[in-house]
Amino acid sequence: MSEYFINTKDFNYLVSDLMDKSRVAAPAGEFGRKYWFDVDGDSLGRIDLTGYRTVEPCKAYLFKPTELVARYFDGDTHLSAGPLVLLGARACDLEGINVLDRVFGEGDQDPFYLVSREKTVLIGADCTDCGASCFCSLVGGGPYPTACFDLSLAVVPNGYVVEVGSEKGKKIIDDHRNIFARVLPPAAAAKKENREKVEAKLKRVNQGFSTGELSLLHKLNLENDIWRRLTKDCVECSACNFICPTCSCFLLVDEASSGLNRRHKLWDACLKAGYAKVAGGGNSRPRLFQRLQNRYHCKFDYSFDRLSRYTCVGCGRCIDGCAGNIDMREIFAALDREIKK
Amino acid sequence: MTSNPYQPIRAEIKEVIAETPQIKTFVLAPEKEIGFLSGQFMQVTIPGVGEAPFTPSSDPKKNDMIEFTVMKAGQATGRLHELKSGETVGLRGPFGHPYPLDKYHGKDVYIIGGGVGIAPLRALLLALFHELERLNKIELRLGARSPEDLPFKQEMPTWGKREKTNLVVTVDRGDEKWPGKVGVVTEIMLPGDVNPEAAAAIVCGPPIMMKFAVKKLLDLGFSDKDIYLSMEKNMSCGIGKCFHCNLGKHLCCVDGPVFTWEQVKEIPDPW
Ligand SMILES: Cc1cc2nc3c(=O)[nH]c(=O)nc-3n(C[C@H](O)[C@H](O)[C@H](O)COP(=O)(O)OP(=O)(O)OC[C@H]3O[C@@H](n4cnc5c(N)ncnc54)[C@H](O)[C@@H]3O)c2cc1C
Ligand code: SF4
Ligand code: SF4
Repeated sequence: MSEYFINTKDFNYLVSDLMDKSRVAAPAGEFGRKYWFDVDGDSLGRIDLTGYRTVEPCKAYLFKPTELVARYFDGDTHLSAGPLVLLGARACDLEGINVLDRVFGEGDQDPFYLVSREKTVLIGADCTDCGASCFCSLVGGGPYPTACFDLSLAVVPNGYVVEVGSEKGKKIIDDHRNIFARVLPPAAAAKKENREKVEAKLKRVNQGFSTGELSLLHKLNLENDIWRRLTKDCVECSACNFICPTCSCFLLVDEASSGLNRRHKLWDACLKAGYAKVAGGGNSRPRLFQRLQNRYHCKFDYSFDRLSRYTCVGCGRCIDGCAGNIDMREIFAALDREIKK
Repeated sequence: MTSNPYQPIRAEIKEVIAETPQIKTFVLAPEKEIGFLSGQFMQVTIPGVGEAPFTPSSDPKKNDMIEFTVMKAGQATGRLHELKSGETVGLRGPFGHPYPLDKYHGKDVYIIGGGVGIAPLRALLLALFHELERLNKIELRLGARSPEDLPFKQEMPTWGKREKTNLVVTVDRGDEKWPGKVGVVTEIMLPGDVNPEAAAAIVCGPPIMMKFAVKKLLDLGFSDKDIYLSMEKNMSCGIGKCFHCNLGKHLCCVDGPVFTWEQVKEIPDPW
């Protein structure tokens, strides 16, 4: 794929220009962490593409926490979405979107996700650091985007190296041809050096951890006692579900107001006791350990049947968000030992 | 892009038939014709309340009207039971895999049903009646808690009078007027009913009944792949997106709701 250099001043111009036509969201630092925010003319300077992922994933821009999906019976719900640029998505964010694209786009389609996705430009960014919970490298990823982006940026002295990943991305370059230059060797070298540095740090951070034989999780008897032990600190808060870039469960909920019936699609969480409840008190997973176990199978085992891949992208958000301080990587290690027994 | 899969179409309730104190059949006229196959399910919208999945109980060949036979079990079904003819409900679907009728050709079809589980089996039976000449025979074994809990009271005896079809009905608790068998449905599943080497068994009913029926079928010599089950899981979207109905690696709404025992036997307590 082709690569270009853009200097910092022209980059700001490019973002302003994108803002004229689209909503633009990007990471900004606050209290030592980064969060997604809506960029406007006054806040352009807050965009911060250094460091690693934001606290929250960007899935909410595409798969809304709550969304009106039907009004009945007076015609259909209007499907529409405004243009959006997600600027500064990390490799793990992009992989997460790739999972959502497949979940909502393969087989029967969810037009609400697809229409938002269609209108979205994904601009990735290399990580210039990694967090203590980052483990993309354990699930086949790494700290820089390799797929699922329209453009991707690498922060280098005085500007950015921009990689083109799609026709949509190429169009942005073509529309602003005059501000993109050839990549000179020092910029290329800076990009490479940063990648190696972050890869090395990721390796250090995850020393001693591995996903081991996790893809053989189905060999482990679901009744195995290990699950009860592993779950003892889980308090069923479901933070891991909501903060995960690939958790995509939802529930359709209806309401009536002033003679009109509306149906909403709401994020749901498989850790909740009522998630699989059926009438008459039946429940496929009445016990908390069964629900946590199901989450691991969903990401590391059933995901192979459905999408031929892990659907955990190793962002580590569920580690940071866990009220019970459960570190997924420690669970991997315990499971691996059990699988190998 | 596909049309909105969450949008229900309107259907008018034409008739409400009280089957038992807890079960009613709703005869619906959808605004558009719906073609379904037996075993597939639909999401029925109770306006402003929500949806619940049901398998139609009517003849799949009949397209202008569609019937659902529903047990009052909670919030949505409770509200549905309050609706009267002339009122409106919504429909989405049909969803999921139907019973693979062609696999039953040339065989004994052993149909085991309990309680409201007899509803989906009625649609299957009406579909099979259209192709009786291709079946060896149908053996029906149906059960309910008491005589008054049996749905389709008028129609059921006529099923046993069809050619190639035998019907045995049992109730857990009889009364003085009950002429039939008393006991759980597995007690009327006997060696010699069908030839398990060339038969398909179809089971639908409460989880506990399905569990024991499968055990009995295996004892009778059925192989795992010839036992067909209608699995009931929590369902929301119906199209394999919301993941509520996962049953191990399967999604009940798109991979089922009809599964063979072979597909689900590895899952601990799949019920
Ligand atoms: C494929 C399939 C076919 C079926 N066919 C039939 C049939 O032919 N006949 C029949 O009688 N039954 C059938 N059922 C069962 C039927 O769907 C249930 O009895 C029905 O869904 C019960 O709904 P309810 O709201 O009345 O019960 P409830 O017990 O009130 O609710 C059932 C489920 O909905 C959830 N729920 C209820 N209210 C809410 C809420 N406000 N917010 C979030 N979740 C909520 C509950 O947690 C529970 O998971 C079938 C089920 C399946 C899966
Ligand atoms: S499971 Fe945890 S680490 Fe994996 S993608 Fe989800 S939040 Fe990130
Ligand atoms: S998990 Fe990897 S890609 Fe994601 S923020 Fe951390 S280092 Fe970057």
